[in-house]
Amino acid sequence: MIEKDISKYKDLFSEYTELRIQENRNCAISLVNGDVMGNNRISESGVSARVNKKGVWGFSSNPTIADETVKTVIKAATENALYLNDRERKSKEPLPVSVGTSEKDFMTERKRKTQKEMIDFLREIDGYIGKTYTDLTARTTVYRSLEMEKSLLTSEGSQAYSMVPRTLIYTLLNLAKDGQPFELYEIFGGFGQFENLFSKPEDLYEKIDKQYEHLKKKSEGVYPKAGISDCIFGPDLAGILAHEAIGHTVEADIVLGGSVAADYLNKEVASPIINMVDFAHTAMGKLCPVPLFVDDEGTQAKDAVLIENGILKTFMHNKESAQHFGVKPTGNARAYSFSDEPIIRMRNTAIVPGKDKLDDMIASIDDGYYLMKSSNGQADSTSEFMFGIVQGYEIKNGKLGNAIKDTTISGIAFDMMKTITMISDDMVWSCGGMCGKKQLIPVGMGGPALKCKVNIGGK
Amino acid sequence: MKSDRELVKYCIDKMIERGAEKAQCYLKHNKKHELNVDAGEMKLLRTTFDTSILLKAIINDQKGDLKINKKDEGSIDRAVDQVIELAQSSLPDKANDIADNQPPKEFTAGREEADLDLMYDRLHDFVLYEKEHYPKTMIEQAIVDFTQSNILIQNSNGVDFAGNRGLYSSSVMFTSKEGEKASSFNYSDYASKELDKPLHEYASVDMLLKQSGEQIHTSAFPGKMVGDVIITPDCLSSFIYYITAYLSDYSLISGSSIYKDKLNEKIANDTLTLHSYPRSPEIAKNYFFTRDGFEAQNMTVIDKGVLKSFLLSQYGANKTGKPKAVNSGGCYIVEPGTAGFEEMVSSIDKGLLLCRFSGGNPSDNGDFSGVAKNSYLIENGKITKPVNETMIAGNLAEMIKNIINISKERIDYGSEIYPWVQVKGITISGK
Repeated sequence: MIEKDISKYKDLFSEYTELRIQENRNCAISLVNGDVMGNNRISESGVSARVNKKGVWGFSSNPTIADETVKTVIKAATENALYLNDRERKSKEPLPVSVGTSEKDFMTERKRKTQKEMIDFLREIDGYIGKTYTDLTARTTVYRSLEMEKSLLTSEGSQAYSMVPRTLIYTLLNLAKDGQPFELYEIFGGFGQFENLFSKPEDLYEKIDKQYEHLKKKSEGVYPKAGISDCIFGPDLAGILAHEAIGHTVEADIVLGGSVAADYLNKEVASPIINMVDFAHTAMGKLCPVPLFVDDEGTQAKDAVLIENGILKTFMHNKESAQHFGVKPTGNARAYSFSDEPIIRMRNTAIVPGKDKLDDMIASIDDGYYLMKSSNGQADSTSEFMFGIVQGYEIKNGKLGNAIKDTTISGIAFDMMKTITMISDDMVWSCGGMCGKKQLIPVGMGGPALKCKVNIGGK
Repeated sequence: MKSDRELVKYCIDKMIERGAEKAQCYLKHNKKHELNVDAGEMKLLRTTFDTSILLKAIINDQKGDLKINKKDEGSIDRAVDQVIELAQSSLPDKANDIADNQPPKEFTAGREEADLDLMYDRLHDFVLYEKEHYPKTMIEQAIVDFTQSNILIQNSNGVDFAGNRGLYSSSVMFTSKEGEKASSFNYSDYASKELDKPLHEYASVDMLLKQSGEQIHTSAFPGKMVGDVIITPDCLSSFIYYITAYLSDYSLISGSSIYKDKLNEKIANDTLTLHSYPRSPEIAKNYFFTRDGFEAQNMTVIDKGVLKSFLLSQYGANKTGKPKAVNSGGCYIVEPGTAGFEEMVSSIDKGLLLCRFSGGNPSDNGDFSGVAKNSYLIENGKITKPVNETMIAGNLAEMIKNIINISKERIDYGSEIYPWVQVKGITISGK
């Protein structure tokens, strides 16, 4: 645990300064075919300071949390800012003042489980899979948790403390059919700690049974036809579309770096039924998977309404980009580790649910695909995206048909978003992965199901 | 205050005292200076210090691993208690082990301190160069850093290695724009012991910047075909990563690797030789020993198309009964071929110069598909125009059997050295 109140250091600031004390605690356990292949814990903590001097920044960090090192990192960060200022001679206006305060501790109140209890939990799941599905060639069960605890103090008077946990269990099943290997993953958990998210291994079995069923069908499945096709994106795909293909292009630093979205502000970028938001902490009355109340620059985090009725309304900002564009910062500046500086990151990016029913959406397609799960996704400054598809089905005459084998889909997101004609009325969040920019960081992605046209790679 | 050597010994003694039968401690100090350019402007100077202590304890064949970044005695004692608890919580696995005794050694490479003024001057000059020569291209981010690392690894079998290294690294990411048209982003990164030349002269930076401006205006790849693709050195790293993943612990332990029974068998065309050379003077970003406590040696992974080594750790080797690699992989060098790049291009009637691959993770069977980014159409022996929305598909195992040519020219990234590779049988489809 770190100190929640670090206001005693406020007199050490001579310039615009952010001081952050942070600890990240990770735990990872992995079982491969019943053997414990990984069993580790990581705890990394320290102090960092970032100083702004007329438009340039200095940063320094140290793993020792003590009064002396706090002074040292503030001094080193200040000297670094002065070093650059001496050479660059910029004369930028002071950053916009944005003061936020918050104390959010999401630590479980339940008795913490021991490592042995968690290993035993995974062993039960692994045992169930091994005993029930004897034709699998391999099975992997993985536990991963992250507790991110931060205390922030800024020269403008922001003070914030947060402890935000994320806990995930992954199951990966492998099967062979006619000598060809196939695999499929499933993810459980999200925001919260093991003690609150997982009570009995049996609670996971229904979803694991479905995972096996999908894998079996995939192994007997067909290659999709290459080319543009009518598709239903399941919520997982809608979430990754929102994050990768649209979200990154409207992060203000990417906009300044040449994103095609720079010219799209207040223009139509999607079908008029599309609304897309980067939620700070709460969506539709519920806490998001990665809740952020005050960002790492000290700004009170607000929702960024990115697309409203198909029109691009704003970018995601830190203080500096907000100053550049003449708007208010949205509280998107986040750092992963104590030794990282805050950069513009998404928080919980989602397409807002519509009014349609998933069954009606599937029934509306004569010849197309229901794409349910993605292995990975990448996108470009042009909004061209690529997602690996690892679970999906043909749609024939309004009904689900054969499963499809792994494929990829691609397109220009700002074109593809204009082809969306139906949006389901439900909403699913996922936060199983890490978003990679300069630093990795957990993000939430969410969405309903979407009906659209997209280019399928086929074979 | 204990010296680092005393601290490492203390950790091992303490783990043994607390019941570990085998123990290992890995201690690393990093001091990093890093300069950042954002959106074409010099923006940030970072100085960071960090410490990593990795403890490994084995009790009754049960293993625990723990990592902290604190050196004080209280934190160390708590970490030892925790790693013992982790090991006791685990299951016995006879594959768990630590490295056998080897003669103690200390290794040193690179400079001890950053030349910060030189880093600034090189980056400053690079920004000016880029603006002058490529006015349509915007540097989204450019980073130059110098990291001084000091590592100690010891175990209860008497392993005792020390490594000290100073290394410059740099990366640049950029996009070109004209009106509302934008190119795909592209990037390059590289490592070097000294900054003895302008940054645009490292690796493929200048070539990629030049290409970026050309890629603002793109054309569709005409139709769909199965044909020849020339994979550039920048793109080859993605495919080497995919192939070596099939040779590594997880793939071989789970039994899903397509190469699990292929040791000493032909898996690629004769022209392909892939080395992993962490101790070669050709590689600036080298390493001296592995995380599991073995002195690293150079090895050839694929020799004239024959698979000569897996990339298994000690645990992976014990688990699978297959031979352990003599290093931890990486530091890859692909041997040059005899063809010139221009000669390779002129041999293709219609095909693709694949400069970056944005793809889904390949399937267990080696099937891959994805988007050809920053890539060019080859027609009648000439590179004619940059393409958009072009997808490629193939199978990795087949692809490396279908190598036609490897270029004599190569790009040195400091961490890897790659040529251009021409392959046949790739499905290329336009929009």
